[in-house]
Amino acid sequence: MTPFQSSGPVVGSDTPGLRPTAPSAPQSTTPFSSSGPVVGSESPGFRPVPPVAPQTYIPEASGFRPAPPARFNDPSVPPPPTSYAPPNAGPLPRFPTAQLSSTQPPPSRAPFVGQPPFQPPPAQVPPPQLPLRPQQQMPLVPMGSPPQNVNYVPASTNVAQSPSDSSFPAPRPNFQPSFPGYVRQQSSADSQAPPIHSPFPTKQGGAPFQTTASSPLVAHQGGYVAPPFGFQSRDHMQHPSSGPPVGAIQSLVEDFNSLSVGGSIPGSIEPGVDLKALPRPLDGDVEPKLFSETYPLNCGPRFLRLTTSGIPSSQSLASRWHLPLGAVVCPLAESPDGDEVPVINFASSGIIRCRRCRTYVNPYVTFTDSGRKWRCNMCSLLNDVPGDYFAHLDATGKRVDLDKRPELTRGSVEFVAPTEYMIRPPMPPLYFFLIDVSVSAVRSGMIEVVAKTIRSCLDKLPGYPRTQIGFATYDSTLHFYNLKADIFYSSSFISFNLDILLAYCLANKTAKINNHSSLTQPQMLVVSDLDDIFVPLPDDLLVNLSESRSVVETFLDSLPSMFQDNLNLESAFGPALKAAFMLMRQLGGKLLIFQNTLPSLGIGRLKLRGDDQRVYGTDKEHALRLPEDPFYKQMAAEFTKFQIGVNVYAFSDKYTDIASLGTLAKYTGGEVNFYPNFHSAIHGEKLRHELARDLTRETAWEAVLRIRVGKGLRFTSYHGSFMLRSTDLLALPAVDCDKAFAMQLSLEEALLTTQTVYFQVALLYTASCGERRIRVLTAAAPVVTDLGDMYRLADTGAIVTLLSRLAIEKTLSSKLEDARNSLQLRIVKALKEYRTLYAVQHRLAGRIIYPESLKFLLLYGLALFKSTPVRGGYADVTLDERCAAGFTMMTLPVKKLLKLLYPNLIRVDEHLLKPSAHDDLTSIEKRLPLSAASLDSRGLYILDDGFRFIIWFGRVLSPDIAMNLLGPEFAADLSKVILSEHDNEMSRKLMRVINRLREKDSLYYHLCQLVRQGEQPREGILFLSNLVEDPIGGSNGYVEWVLQIHRQIQQNP
Amino acid sequence: MGLNLIFWILCFFIDLALLSSNFYQLVILSDLEADYLNPYESTSRINFLIVPEFILHGVFCALFLFTWHWFLFLVTLPLAIYSAKLFKEKKHLIDVTEVFRALSAEKKIRLVKLAFYLFLLFVVIFRVFTAGMILFYSSEFGELDIRSSFLQF
Repeated sequence: MTPFQSSGPVVGSDTPGLRPTAPSAPQSTTPFSSSGPVVGSESPGFRPVPPVAPQTYIPEASGFRPAPPARFNDPSVPPPPTSYAPPNAGPLPRFPTAQLSSTQPPPSRAPFVGQPPFQPPPAQVPPPQLPLRPQQQMPLVPMGSPPQNVNYVPASTNVAQSPSDSSFPAPRPNFQPSFPGYVRQQSSADSQAPPIHSPFPTKQGGAPFQTTASSPLVAHQGGYVAPPFGFQSRDHMQHPSSGPPVGAIQSLVEDFNSLSVGGSIPGSIEPGVDLKALPRPLDGDVEPKLFSETYPLNCGPRFLRLTTSGIPSSQSLASRWHLPLGAVVCPLAESPDGDEVPVINFASSGIIRCRRCRTYVNPYVTFTDSGRKWRCNMCSLLNDVPGDYFAHLDATGKRVDLDKRPELTRGSVEFVAPTEYMIRPPMPPLYFFLIDVSVSAVRSGMIEVVAKTIRSCLDKLPGYPRTQIGFATYDSTLHFYNLKADIFYSSSFISFNLDILLAYCLANKTAKINNHSSLTQPQMLVVSDLDDIFVPLPDDLLVNLSESRSVVETFLDSLPSMFQDNLNLESAFGPALKAAFMLMRQLGGKLLIFQNTLPSLGIGRLKLRGDDQRVYGTDKEHALRLPEDPFYKQMAAEFTKFQIGVNVYAFSDKYTDIASLGTLAKYTGGEVNFYPNFHSAIHGEKLRHELARDLTRETAWEAVLRIRVGKGLRFTSYHGSFMLRSTDLLALPAVDCDKAFAMQLSLEEALLTTQTVYFQVALLYTASCGERRIRVLTAAAPVVTDLGDMYRLADTGAIVTLLSRLAIEKTLSSKLEDARNSLQLRIVKALKEYRTLYAVQHRLAGRIIYPESLKFLLLYGLALFKSTPVRGGYADVTLDERCAAGFTMMTLPVKKLLKLLYPNLIRVDEHLLKPSAHDDLTSIEKRLPLSAASLDSRGLYILDDGFRFIIWFGRVLSPDIAMNLLGPEFAADLSKVILSEHDNEMSRKLMRVINRLREKDSLYYHLCQLVRQGEQPREGILFLSNLVEDPIGGSNGYVEWVLQIHRQIQQNP
Repeated sequence: MGLNLIFWILCFFIDLALLSSNFYQLVILSDLEADYLNPYESTSRINFLIVPEFILHGVFCALFLFTWHWFLFLVTLPLAIYSAKLFKEKKHLIDVTEVFRALSAEKKIRLVKLAFYLFLLFVVIFRVFTAGMILFYSSEFGELDIRSSFLQF
């Protein structure tokens, strides 16, 4: 089956946000939008249009089979700006002349797969009805183009058109002018298209509106073919009625985009790239719709995204795809309301799986033999249908009970697992808190925030009434807390204590017991022998929350005051970790570590190896980012083995060796939250929110994840935070909705014989309610034989995610420089390969060309270059922040990662000044390019990277606004000011905006950081370093980056 | 001359031990790849053997040096240096958390070592025989035996 035949207007990545220009001329709108469906739709949908003689726009539009005319008014179709016409029309009479000298190659092209040969009949060229002819032409071309395959209009063909040729040239057998990309490009460019200069010294006056019927098409085509000449005429701009020549300028043949680079354009200044013309992901991440629409039974893209949904059919093809080939899986992604994953219980028949390859039953299996057998879609083995699962087939071969079987209609389902899937009874949710109580923790106020947050979350912990909880604190000694609420202990309180003392004396340990007078008080047991750790009362330290609720509450209430006078500087982290391990070993669970200083005592103590500048640039550099002591890796391995997931919260203002601490989280499916220089007054809210989310989000316990793929393919490497238990089994002691895993694919066989490849992700886990479940996500992807198809079906988001994980892993084994270089090399190789596909035929010298689907790759690549884990060297980021960001980026799902790489920048002062009371947020939803050019010093901007808000106050922002928002502190040092609500409308409005933005993205709490323009060096560190398009501190700006990539592509292989 | 024979027999056993240790590790790694063993068990088994193997190889190498067998000393030296380097960089043990990532490389190294020790084994066996022969025939042919001078490389 040809995968690209799905119909429907797939408006690829083009959304209105990209094109803010409002349509002002209805005439121009109509024709343009009739090309709408083609926009972004690489594909399908369009059949070669039978020769119609369109007289008006409507007939033309109706030429599009799948889409009713109404569709064309879809808002997602970019309205063309009025100014659109002139650039097209301007050169019309001129251009053909310029081209006349070229030879006339026979324009016949090889027919493409599945394409009926198409002959654009002369009738297709409508008689000029409106002055805006060229635009009218535009939709025509795509109409005739069945974008099924990689078809392009060769430049020569167009050039061949004689200017006097009054109609679309008939003698073109099999010629399929596929302009969809072209049109798309145009539309995507119209908001950004720069005034680009034309090499043609045309001095066309007001011609555009009076072009003759004969020339427009030719000229129009010529315009597009012009790329080699950089046809972007400046004259058009000069035309009085033309305005900025948006659209039409970007040359583009087919489904690729190109940008003119280099200074070959007369009159242009270096660098020859117009900054405004460069593509920007201002709509955030756009999931590849084509893929899910072609295969509606696939699981949603929030669960599984492939870097390209066209799987290469041969190893040689795969080797030409220089980008990562693989998938990003987020198995527990949060489902929007109404789209929950159905839970299915095959009570009697057992879970239906293929006998041979163990694939779970899924929508792609086929039933045969009147319903008694089913064929596995992965290995095509015929399996018997169990008696309880049998259903008759209807005339079309579908099961009659299809609508009652979600597992046969949906790509994402959950099965209740019977006892065969358990090695032990499902574990209860278990939370163990390991809290540093040394002096710095006390001073920063961390203990208080943590204790209060845990207490407030006690009701919301998942798994009531089975939830278990335990606490331990440590400084230079370990403190355990007996939280058992038992009548026995209270009645025989004294003897109990004596027993303990006796036990301690017998064990010859130094121990003391602080017991509080009240009977509901928890008891504190102190162990100070760090060399030979033992756990006193192993049965009473982990308690059932519902039984010991009041003791736990009392403990949490008294915890901050217990240590408020503690002056202990030491941190016996390693021994505490071992003790926690011994306690949790029986059950597994989640271990939350709150660490405030560098571990200094006992096993696992770390040196202040610090950030030694001299090490950077040498071969030893990467060792700084690796755990120093093998203890941490060993512990991480042990934790995973016993189903313990570790989340690390680190707070220090000094070096804490996140590289070592984070290792614990990395191999146990956990996460690292780093709050440098923590102060409860400033960061308290952030910690509260993030800890609360960590405790209350739905968590999958003792999970394993496996991804299966059809014959001939194999997943070879996995990237993320987990531990591999066997070659393809990811062990995840505790996993939640915010974790994504990336994996790379390779072909085992030289040639794939199947048409479709299936992927199946299975996550076997224990739900908090105590049920063992298997979440099964199934997806199908077409096998393609053409590299162009691979590029067309590429998914920038998934590619960037994989690239970033590979780059971060590279920083762990080599220098930062090397990691960046290899990233750059990959991008260059990929674009070079793409160039060899197209550039030769089209003489696109001097232009950088890239597939429509990867138009943001360059920018995200640059953003990755400047991301915290990879950028710069010694001075740019502190080692701890670098490592923490690295750990975080290794777990983030695609959308969040892209937002972090290319944050939202929005201007809010206009919104605040608007008198309207209602919150119309549309005005602030317009994202701005991340460049200093977007900033106006009279404005107030919010930069939102998913982790924090940086609020930037322009230098000449009206003092009124500043005063209203900041109150009396408006003139103070902004680093110490905390944004809070003041009693005025403007401040309330800002807070509403901020809260709204926070709600949209609740994984991390966005801490507000305020910065004023010109406030160095804070502005530089906080804000300007996030403007990825600007050159900062020796790094490239967007334009230089594009030029650099382009130069490297041009270099001979 | 008896001493010589004893020396070569000793070498034979050392080499056999090294060979079998490598073979065993290779089997464990293959088992791990085929999912017959879990990474914890396989790495602990392999790591248990690695340091003794390094020491034994060091002894092997030193024996050749002290007995003035230049050729064999030079043959075994590179591996000894490589092992010492690994040990010094603390990279000699297999990391259980990353074992699957290192699997193919570790297998390759062990395969090469296996071939190397197999080659040494042949050499040593040959020397055992020549030493034995010389011992046996020395009464008859004495110093005239061409084999003894030829094989004394």
